[in-house]
Amino acid sequence: MSEKRILLGNEAIARGIVEAGCEVASAYPGTPSSEILPAVAHWADELGTKTVVEWGANEKVAFEMAAGASFAGKRACAVMKMVGLNVAADPFMSVAHFRIKGGFLLVVSDDPGPHSSQTEQDSRFFAMFAKVPCFDPSTAAEAKEMVFDAYNLSERHEIVTMLRPSVRVDHCRQDIELNDVIDIDRPADFEKDISRWVCLPANVRINHPMLNAKNDAIREEFEKDFGKYNYEIPSEEPARLGIIAGGISYSVVKDLLQSMGRKDVSILKIGTPHPLPVKMVEDFIARHDNVLVLEETYPVIEMQIPDRTKVKGRWNNWVPRAGELLPEVIEEILYKVLDEEMPKTADAHIKKALEELKVTPRKPMMCPGCPHRASFFAIRQALPKAINPSDIGCYTLGVNQKAVDAVIDMGASVSQSSGFYMAHKVDGKERPIVATIGDSTFFHMGLPGLVSAVYNRHAFVLAILDNSITAMTGGQSHPGIGDKLRKGDKGRKVEVEDAVKACGVSWVKTVEAYDVETGKELVKEAWEHARANEEPTVVIFRHPCMLLKREQEKIPVKVDPEKCIGCRFCINYFNCPGLVFDEQNKKAYIDERFCVQCGVCINVCPHGAIQAVDREEA
Amino acid sequence: MQYVIVGIGGQGILFSSRVLGHIAMSKGETVIGSEVHGMAQRGGSVISHFKIGDYSSPLVKAGEADTLLAFDQNEAFRNFHFLREGGKAVVNVHDKKALENQELQKYIEERSLDVHPIEGYEILKKHMGGKFLFLNVLILGAMCGVGAGNVTVEEVRQAIRQLAPPKFVDANLKVVDLGYETTR
Repeated sequence: MSEKRILLGNEAIARGIVEAGCEVASAYPGTPSSEILPAVAHWADELGTKTVVEWGANEKVAFEMAAGASFAGKRACAVMKMVGLNVAADPFMSVAHFRIKGGFLLVVSDDPGPHSSQTEQDSRFFAMFAKVPCFDPSTAAEAKEMVFDAYNLSERHEIVTMLRPSVRVDHCRQDIELNDVIDIDRPADFEKDISRWVCLPANVRINHPMLNAKNDAIREEFEKDFGKYNYEIPSEEPARLGIIAGGISYSVVKDLLQSMGRKDVSILKIGTPHPLPVKMVEDFIARHDNVLVLEETYPVIEMQIPDRTKVKGRWNNWVPRAGELLPEVIEEILYKVLDEEMPKTADAHIKKALEELKVTPRKPMMCPGCPHRASFFAIRQALPKAINPSDIGCYTLGVNQKAVDAVIDMGASVSQSSGFYMAHKVDGKERPIVATIGDSTFFHMGLPGLVSAVYNRHAFVLAILDNSITAMTGGQSHPGIGDKLRKGDKGRKVEVEDAVKACGVSWVKTVEAYDVETGKELVKEAWEHARANEEPTVVIFRHPCMLLKREQEKIPVKVDPEKCIGCRFCINYFNCPGLVFDEQNKKAYIDERFCVQCGVCINVCPHGAIQAVDREEA
Repeated sequence: MQYVIVGIGGQGILFSSRVLGHIAMSKGETVIGSEVHGMAQRGGSVISHFKIGDYSSPLVKAGEADTLLAFDQNEAFRNFHFLREGGKAVVNVHDKKALENQELQKYIEERSLDVHPIEGYEILKKHMGGKFLFLNVLILGAMCGVGAGNVTVEEVRQAIRQLAPPKFVDANLKVVDLGYETTR
C-alpha cells in the first residue's frame, strides 16, 4: 500500500511512529508537539495496531512510562515540547547511560520565535548534554522517514534517540506518503539485570565510558551511512559562499536561493546535528573561503566545528542569536555575507498607512465566553491588592485583565505563592496572595507545591480554574477528565477536589465560574481562612471550555450609550473580544462579530450600562 | 503558486488552506504550507502560508505571494508586503473608510496590487443569519470570482463536498456561490 495525503507535520511524525511498530506511546501536550500523540491514536485505530497511547500527567511521567516499556523490550516513544524536556530532564539524563532494549524514540518539538513558549531553547543542545543522537528534520516528510532510522539506530546502539522537529516542521502541512506498519516482533520480556537497569554509581562508572564509545560509533555512522540526511548541494558555478544548514533553516535557504536564482552558493545539509559528522563538515569548509552556518535556535552545529576561523555564524554575530530565522531574516544575512546591496522595497507607504490607521498586531486573548475571564474578574475585584502568581495555559492571558503578576513555568503558581508569603512573613508583614492554575497544570506539577505549602503552613488562596480540558494546546484530556485516546479505552477520572484534600488542604470550595458574585465572596472567604489558620485554601472555579462547544444559555447583551460613561473599566478588567471601545464616541459597544452571548459582562459594568437585550427586542 | 491567508484566531482560516491543498493534491501537485496553533491562535493575529509546486520550505517570503486571502482588513494591511508586485488580494472589510487612506492607496498603486474588498459580515448577516464561521468559504468563493488563486469555483465546490461535515455541505456550497457572485 502506498497512498499520499496532506498531513500536518505532527500527523506525519505520528504516522511514522505507528508504521515503525511503536507499541507504547506517551506524551504530555505542549505546543508545538500537541497533535502528535492524538494522531498516533488515530493512526493506530485506522491501522488496527495494538499500540498503547496514553497521556502522562506530565513529561517526566510520560518519559518514564516509555522508558519502562523500552526496558521490557517494546518499541516506545515519549513526546513533548522543549520545555517539557526540562521537566523530564532527570530521567532523560539518566536513561541516556542505559543500554536500553526496545527502540526508544524521544520526540521533542522546539519553538523558535517563540510562538507559544517561555523560552527559545534548542533541544539539540539537550541531546548533546545527555550525549544521545539527534535527528533534525527539515520537512514533515523527512521527519516521518527519520522516525524509522531513529528507531533502528536506537536499537542498534541500545540508546535513547531524539527527533527534534521545530515548530515549522510540526505545523507544516505537506503531501505525505503513507505506508504499512512494518512487521516487528518485540515481545515484552524484562530480563532482570541490576548492572543494566539500576543507575548505581558503580554502574555509571562503567556506563559513562560506554556512552562515549557509542557516541564515537554513531558519529562514524553519521559520517558515512546517512547520506539521505547529510548531503551537499554543490553550486553550478564556482562557489562564493558555502552554507552549512540544518532543520527548517535548510529548507528556507534552499527556497530562497532558488527564488534569487543564485548559482554561486553551495549547501551542506546536516540532518544529524549530534554527534556532528565533523569530517564531512571540515571537508566542506576546506573547499570554501566563505562559510555560513544556519540553524535554529542555538549554535549547536557551529560549536562542534573544531576550527571556526572561516565560519560566519552566531559566535561572530553574523546570525542573530535570538528569534526565528524567517526567510526575510536569512535573506538579509545572505546579502551581508555576500557583501551585496539588498534590493529596496516600497515599505515606507505601508508603514505610514499602518500608523495612520492605528493598525497593530492583535495580541492573543481569551476566547469570547471563556470561563477564565469571569474567574479573573472575580479574583481581581475580590482582593484588588493581592499578588497574583499564575501558571502556564490559556489563563496566562489573565495579564490582559491585570490579574496575573508572575509566571515562571508549569506549577510555579503554587510554589511561587509560598515564596511571596515567606518573603512578607520574614518582615512581619502580610499581603493577600491569590494564585491561579488550570486543571491540567494542577495535575502536571501543582500537586508537589501544594503538599509543600500545607506542610510548611503557607497562607495563600489557590484558585484552580477547571475548564475540564487542556485548552491552550487544543483540547487534550488529563487525569481530571478521565478520557483516553484510543477508541474503546476507558480511563478513571481523578476528582480535583479529592486530589486537593489528599494534599492536606482543609478548606476547599467550588463555584460555577460564570457566577461572578459568588466567586468574589468565596475568594474573600478563602483568604480570611488562609491567613487566620496559616494554611493554603483552594477555590475551584468550574465551567467547561468554549472549545468543548457545550450547549449553554444564550444571553444577548447591549451597551446602553446613555449609561456608559466611557471609563473603560470593562475593557481594562474584563477584556473580551466581543466588548470593545469606540474611540470616536468614547463608549463601549458589543462587537457582534465575536460576542457569543454568554451574558457574563452584565455583572461587570459598575454603571449598569451593559444590559441583557429584552426578549421582545431580540 | 504561493498563498498567504491571514485573519484572527477563531475565524476558521485553517479550513481554507485545507481546501486549497485538497484541490492541488487532486491535480497531482506537490504542496507545503505552514499553520499557527497554540497560544498565538487564541484571538490574536494568525497567518497561514501555502505553496504549490517544487518547494522545500513551508514559509512564503515577503514579496513572493501570488494571492492574499484576508479575513480581516487590518490583518490584510499588515500583510500586504507578502504579495508580489501585481499580486491579488481578497479582503473581508468591516470599515470601508480605511481603504481610502492615501498612503495605503499609494502602496497598492506602487506595487500594482489587485485588491478586492468584500463586505463579508454584511453578506453573512443578510443571507446566513449572521453565521460568521462561513467567512472561509465566502472568501474562497470570492477568490474564484476575481480569478485569483488559480482554482475554479467548481473545484472549490467539489473539495467542499468532500471536506465539509455532511450536514453543512449545502450551506457551505450556498456561501461559496454568494462569495463568487458578489465579486462578479
